[in-house]
Parts: sequence; C-alpha cells; structure tokens
Amino acid sequence: MSEKYILRARRNDRIARWIITAGGVAIIATVILILVLIVEVTLPLFLPVGAEPLAEVSLPAQLRHEDVLLLDADEYMRDGLVLTRGGRCVFFDLKTGTVKHTENLAEDASRGEALACSRVGAQQYCMRWSSGLVTIVTPDFGLSEAENHGVAKPYAVEELQSIPASVEPGEIATSVARYTDEGLVTRVDLLANNTFRVAQRSVSTDLMGNESVEAYESLIDGLPGGVSAYTLDTQGEWLYAGTADGQLIRWDLGNLGSPKLVGAHKATEDNVPVTALEMVFGDVSVAVGTGSGKLTTWFPVRKTPEAVTKQLAPIHDLAPHDSAVTSILTSRRNKSLVSLGKDGSIHLDYPTSEQHLLSLSRAERVVKTGYTARGDGILALTEANRICVWRIDNPHPEISLSTLFGKVWYEGYDAPEYTWQSSASTDDFEPKISLVPLLYGSIKGTFYAMLYAIPLALFGAVYTSHFAQGRIRNVIKSTVETMAAIPSVVIGFLAALWLAPIIERYTVTFLLGIMIVPVLIVIFVMLIQPLRQRPFLKQVEQGFEFVLMVPVVLLACTLSYMLAGPLEALLFGGDLKQWLFESAGQRYDQRNCVVISFALGFAVIPIIFTIAEDALSNVPNSLKAASLALGASRWQTVWRVVLPSASPGIFAGIIIGFGRAVGETMIVLMATGNTPVLDMSIFNGMRTLSANIAVEIPEAPLGGTLYRVLFLSAVILLVFTSILNTMAELIRQRLRSKYGLNN
Amino acid sequence: MTDPVTTEESHVTPQKPAGGVKATSERPKAKPAFDFEPKIRIENLSLYYGQTRALFDVDMSMPAGEITALIGPSGCGKSTLLRTLNRMNDIIPAVRVTGTVAIDDVDIYSKAVHVDLLRKRVGMVFQKPNPFPKSIFENVAFGLRIHGESNRNSIEETVEKSLQRAALWDEVKDRLRENAMSLSGGQQQRLCIARALAVGPEILLMDEPTSALDPRSTARIEDLLDELRSDYTIVIVTHNMQQASRVSDWTGFMYEGYLVEFGQTEKIFIAPEKKQTEDYITGRFG
Repeated sequence: MSEKYILRARRNDRIARWIITAGGVAIIATVILILVLIVEVTLPLFLPVGAEPLAEVSLPAQLRHEDVLLLDADEYMRDGLVLTRGGRCVFFDLKTGTVKHTENLAEDASRGEALACSRVGAQQYCMRWSSGLVTIVTPDFGLSEAENHGVAKPYAVEELQSIPASVEPGEIATSVARYTDEGLVTRVDLLANNTFRVAQRSVSTDLMGNESVEAYESLIDGLPGGVSAYTLDTQGEWLYAGTADGQLIRWDLGNLGSPKLVGAHKATEDNVPVTALEMVFGDVSVAVGTGSGKLTTWFPVRKTPEAVTKQLAPIHDLAPHDSAVTSILTSRRNKSLVSLGKDGSIHLDYPTSEQHLLSLSRAERVVKTGYTARGDGILALTEANRICVWRIDNPHPEISLSTLFGKVWYEGYDAPEYTWQSSASTDDFEPKISLVPLLYGSIKGTFYAMLYAIPLALFGAVYTSHFAQGRIRNVIKSTVETMAAIPSVVIGFLAALWLAPIIERYTVTFLLGIMIVPVLIVIFVMLIQPLRQRPFLKQVEQGFEFVLMVPVVLLACTLSYMLAGPLEALLFGGDLKQWLFESAGQRYDQRNCVVISFALGFAVIPIIFTIAEDALSNVPNSLKAASLALGASRWQTVWRVVLPSASPGIFAGIIIGFGRAVGETMIVLMATGNTPVLDMSIFNGMRTLSANIAVEIPEAPLGGTLYRVLFLSAVILLVFTSILNTMAELIRQRLRSKYGLNN
Repeated sequence: MTDPVTTEESHVTPQKPAGGVKATSERPKAKPAFDFEPKIRIENLSLYYGQTRALFDVDMSMPAGEITALIGPSGCGKSTLLRTLNRMNDIIPAVRVTGTVAIDDVDIYSKAVHVDLLRKRVGMVFQKPNPFPKSIFENVAFGLRIHGESNRNSIEETVEKSLQRAALWDEVKDRLRENAMSLSGGQQQRLCIARALAVGPEILLMDEPTSALDPRSTARIEDLLDELRSDYTIVIVTHNMQQASRVSDWTGFMYEGYLVEFGQTEKIFIAPEKKQTEDYITGRFG
C-alpha cells in the first residue's frame, strides 16, 4: 500500500517536472522563434546582389557586333532586341537566340542608315539616321494567343517622334532628342565645329482645338573644350556636356530659344576627358564617367547658404573602372546604374549608398551592354558576337549600414544628413531611410520621460515604504496600481488632446513651477525645523508630512501662475514661442518633449515605483534597527542603509521602466507629432522607432525595402532592450554582491 | 499553569518591593536603592502597545560601569524594557510610555533629549548579528560617518581601536575591505559590538547577544563583556541563566511585564527572595 503510494508520488513528480520543463523551454523557444522570424525578414536587406546567368546566345541573323547600336530586353526577360546599323530592329528569343521578328525602321532609302541609338526613358530609343533625321521609337513585344487571352499580339516598333535636321547632315557629329507629353520636342545636335545646335518645338493647343507651333533654334558656341559626351534630361530642360579636358558644363534650356549657361566645373583631374554622361533616374543626378575610369554622380546644390543658384557638385564617388568608362545605363526603377569600361568590365553601382553592387565580365571583351528598364537584367554583347544575359536580383540597393546609420547626401539636399523620409508621391523619389533620427527620438523621449519618472517614482517608493503609515501606504499603493492599469492609448489621448494645449498655453507657468515648487518646499522645510518639537508637528510627522506640504505646493503653483505673465513679458517680450523662434530659431511644437515627459513618465512611474517599493520594503528590519540604534536619523538610515541594500531592486525597476519607455508606442504615437527630427530642444516633438513602425507599416508593401527596414527597427528595439536587460542584470549582480544580503 | 500570579492579580498586587529595599513607591526622587551611583534610573515605567500593556510600573536602577542582566521567560518584557533605554520602541507605531527613564539623572523621554544623540550614547547589540552588507571597515565607520566625522585618519584610528576593543582586530585587520557578510556568526556579532563601540557610547544594551551563536563564540563574547565591564555600563538580556550568573554583577528577574526581583547576581542566584525567582532559576518553569 505504502509502496504504491510512493510510486504514485514519484510518477506525479515526474509528470509535474516534465510539464514545468516543457513550459520553460517553450517560453525560450518562443522568444528565439520571434527573433528568428524578424531577423529572417530583415536579412535580404544585407544580402549581396545576385546575378544569375540566364543565357548566352549568338547574335541573331548573322549580325556582327559592329552592326549593333543598342541592346535591350522585354520586362519579362523573355525576348531581346537589337537595333542595327542597317536600321532594323531584330526581336529574338533570349534563351535560344532564334529570331522572332525583324522590323525595318528605315522605311525607305531616304533615311539612310542608322548611325547611333540611345535609350530615352523607360523603353524608348532615340535613333539618328545618316540623313540627319532623328526618330524616337518604342518596341512592342509580341505575345502568343495563350499569353494574351486568346488574341495573338504581333511584334512591332512604333515611331513616336520624327525630328528632321535643319542643317546639312554632314555637319552633325551626334544628336540627342527628347519630347514631353506637353508637346515640347527638343533636339540637340553637336556639330562638327564643336558647337551645339538646340532646336525646340513647342506645340500647344488652345481651347478651340487650334494647334499653334512655336519653333526655336539657337546655337551654343565658344565651348571651352571639345565636347566628348553630352546628355539631356527626360524633359529636355537641362543640357549636360562633358569635355575632352575634363569639364562638366550645364545649360538651362527652360527658356525656349535662349539657352543659358549655368556653370562649368572641373570634373576630372589631369584633364582626363569625360567619356560618358547619363541622367540618373529622377533627373536630378547626372552620372559622369571619365577616361581614367572614374565614375561619379553630380547634382546641383546650394554651396553656401546665401547662394541663389544651385551649382553642380560631385556627390557620390562610385567604384572606378580600370579603364575609360565607355557607356552608362540607368535603371528606370531606382537610382542604380550600369557602366561599361573600355576593357569590357560591367559595373553595377548605387549612388545613394555608394555601393558597388556587382562586377561582371566575360572572357571576350564586352563591347556593348543593355540594362532593362526594370533594372532586373543586364545584357552584354562581346567581341565574339555573343550575347550574355544575367538576371539581377537587386531589391534593396539603397540599404547599407552607412545609409541606415550614417549621414547620406540625398538628392536636393545641400549637405549630407541623417534623414528619415521613406516614401513620397512620385516613383523617382529617393527613399531616405536613416534610422538615426528614430533612434535619437526614442532615446530623447525616453530620456525626458525618465527624467520625470525616476525621481517621482523613487521618492514615492521611499516615502511609501519607510515614512508613510499603514493606511496612507495602502492608499498610495493601490492608486499606483490603478495607474499601471490605465491603457496607454488613454494616456496618449489625454496627453495629446488635453495636456498638450494646456502646456502650450501655460508653458512659462509650467517651467516656472518646475523651479518654484522644489525651492519653496526646501525653504518651507528649513523654516519648519525649529518648530519640529511642537507636539502638533510631532504628531503630523508620523507620515503625514504631506498634509503640511499641500498648501505649500498650492502656493508654489499659484505663484508660478501669477509670475508667469510678467516674467514672459520681461524676458521673452511677451511671447515665449515668438521669442524662441526669433532668438534661437527653435520652433515650438504643441506635442513636444514636455508633454511626452509627463505622459510617458506617467506610464513608467507605476513600474519603477512597484519594483522599487518592493525592494525597499524587503530590506530587513534588523538592518534598519542597527542603523537607528547607532543614532542615525530616519533619513540617514534610508539613505545609507536601506537604499544601498535595495539598490539592486531599484536598479532593476529603473531598467525595466526604461525598457517600457523605449518600447512604448501608443503614447508617443499620439503625443509626439511624429516628426523625425534631430533636435535636443524640449519644445520639439520626435518620432520614435516604435511609433515609426506603427505609423509606416500600413504603407509598406510586403517584402519591400521599407517593410524590411521596419522589421529591422523591430530587431533593433529587441536587441536594444535585451542588451539593456543584460546590462541591468550584470550591474544588478554586482550591486547585489556588494550591497545585497547573502540570503 | 502553576503560575502564582494571574493577570488580574498583578494589577492589585504588583511585585514592586523587590527585596523590600527599593523605595520607588514614594513619589519624590528615588533614593538609591543600593549603595551605588545609578547610571540608569527607571521609575514607575509602564509601556503600552496600543491597548496591550507590556510593562507594569517597573522601578530599577543600573549601576555605572557594571553589568546588569535581565532574565525571565519569553515574552516577560525584558527586551521591551531594554529597548526603552535607547527609545528603540519609538519606531513601533502606537507605543506609549509612561514613567521615567533617566540616564545620568536626565529623563530621556523629555523633549530636550534628541533621540539620535541619545542612541549615540546608548549603544545596542541585537540578538541576531546584523552587520550592514558593507565592508568590515565601513560597518564600524558607519556610526562615525552619520555623526559627521569626516577626517579619514581619525576614522581609521577609531575603527582600529573599536575592533581591538571588540577583540576582532587580529582576525580581520588584513581583510577590512571584505564584505562583513563573509565573517562567521561570532565574528559578525563582535563586529556589531565594535560598531556600537565606535560611536563612543556610555551604555551598551545587549539583547540576547549570544543566543544565535555556538558555545565557542559565546565564550568569546562573554570574555569580551568582562573586558568591557569597567568602561561601559552594560545591560544584557539573556535567556541563559548560566550566562547571567557568569557575566553579570546585578540581575533583574522579570515576569509578565513586572520586575519581580532585582539584586546582586550572587544573591539572586543563591538566595532569591521571591519564590517565583527561585522557581525560575531552578528551572521549575520558564
């Protein structure tokens, strides 16, 4: 019987142990799983760019590489096309190299043969003919019946613009042309005598439907050196030219018929020629390749704060080629660019992050490259008349540790900055994804909250545990517990809509109060010292001191209220906000650090208070008694014996409170204004990492850069808090061995 | 319960005239009951914890430079009596004291007396060793620091002297920076004595100082008490009657809040006047 009982007890023990162990392991596993899941989402941000060789085929239709003017592929990387010197467009299967369709663009013999071709915009090609004509064409990749809902779509090439030359074709060295949807057609010819001829033709339609055509022609001569490369932006508004002695010149063509020179800059050392020029997607930056293989991007900046016009400046230095850069191609999805060196090496670079993403080369020299509009494929034509195709997996080129945590010079900015601006209304926007303002916001908000919460919570805990009497102690403790139970959305709501306007209205009163209240309390305490032996006070002193303090605090508040008006008039000319803006250049945000300090502090106080109060109450009475018996006063006992002994617990409370403040989302989301600025001013708002996740996750497309960066913020938050907790635990252990008790 | 004194009775027949020598029933200034100069004079002392009365009209004197032991069964009020001498009962809420406790003829419950300064004069050692979780040195220096001593040399000097006085110096002089918690129980208790001595008290109250210690440590503490005898007025509460007979010069026997008998230790132990005392000492109860 008893043996049976023992066996049963043992079995129960074993079962209980298994269940408990399983619980503990499950918790650890869950935490690790969460971390793994988050990290997994962020990892692609830092993976290297993948280049998967897709196919290698011979040039179709027995073409030779000298015949090829341009190389491109459709957006599915299925069909390729080449534009040939003969004026033909050959569509072919990228995988097999079989010709699918050939379109003759020359139409009749009057056009002559095609001399040059360049890509304009997403998938349009600007062709120059020996007759002097310039055409802009776009390919139409065919689809089979199955692919196009039962209707076969033929291959075709559509001609969008045809711009005749106004000078003898023999005079023209090279030409480029652009057109806009508003009807402006711009053609720029570089003439053999090193002058530019700019022809602009503007077609406008009035309300009646009458077309009026204005045509302008102008010459740009007296160029400082022989032009070796030039390009136009997609609107035909800016003309960039690089010279053989290494200058970069920019003209404003916006004023029709009268081009204006904006600036000329030394772009290379040792007068190395500029060999390639291309506008980066977005038309702000221009990529410059030189004869020595250097690759840089430039955009206009205001060089001094007083400067009226923006001047081109070299912004990003990209990985150089070993030989002259012969051509630059840009993506129409992001700022990536592909450059080809004379030695046949292909580089893929990203200007914003200054990352060299990829180098490609072939055994035979590559003479021409193609870069799909989507930026997901690179084509290379070799001397051996073969075409190689790579599929490029380059989803997050703008992300690197230096763009996340360093200063970055973004387009349109006058200097490198830490900026968070993840999205905008246009596609050619450069996402600014510095996490520094967010980290800063988190730390700033937490700092001010802790500044308010720590003293209040700790004084409260000391008072409650060692000075207050039983009933008051219970009231305080249950009040604080209620505080902890208030949902943070309620606190945030109150802070944003009730507290913030009040603080805005009575800012000076608040600031004055912060100074006057403690000062008045200290004065009051000093004054009351001689009266302390009075029996009445003695009775009050047993934990009811605060009753005497209430009128003092009320007086202090009234005083600050009454003094605020005159003081503001005296010091700040009657309006603090105005004064702040004029004398310090600081804006006053309604939802600022003062509000956050109160609101976030309010959320954190119960945590710190509860843990600290427990720690303080758990200091053994024998220690207190020992101290008191030596003649220490109550305060000395608390300060020298109780606080050090309770310090591990107090410290833990502060750190846990800190962790809560860093991770708190709802309050900061509602009461900070969410402006990601780097500013220490207490009258400014901020955007914290946690609030940022909440604000932007609805806008972040699944798997996109922003989406992954937000997950990265989550990882940072997680790592940050775990580092904080580990640190706290270590310090706690040390404190415990120093001040704690053995048991 | 062979208890001869019930609670009701005790109100009517207090056990005041111990040995018939004490003359405290007369209100005017108490005459020395014995031929010594009292360091501590307790007159008509009663103490209440709220509604509960813990001490009943205690009258006794404790001679300067000698050891007075308080004995009695658990809960008889001897610790409470001890704690009235440095007003440690003050920290317990709702404690009320009536009567007089005078040290050097000054009532320590009068308004003129500052309780922190009183406790500086009246040191206390507790039942369980309670060193602070600080270094050995800081434990002894604690009292000096809270009383405003900041001179490093003088602190070091006093610490050394106090540790020597407490017969601990030789054992700890090389490890003063170590945590006091690393000492053995007996050493901790001597450290507590050194800590109490450091602030320069005149009176040392000891609340069963050896009850948590092994016999060896107890012997050391008793030797120490003997050495301290002439320099301090010592009041010791003890459960251990052998200890009381070994170390004390005077003994008071307390029972249920009354001081039953007070006299020279030899007399109390050899020829007690009260039957209760005799019963207790001979181990018939308690």
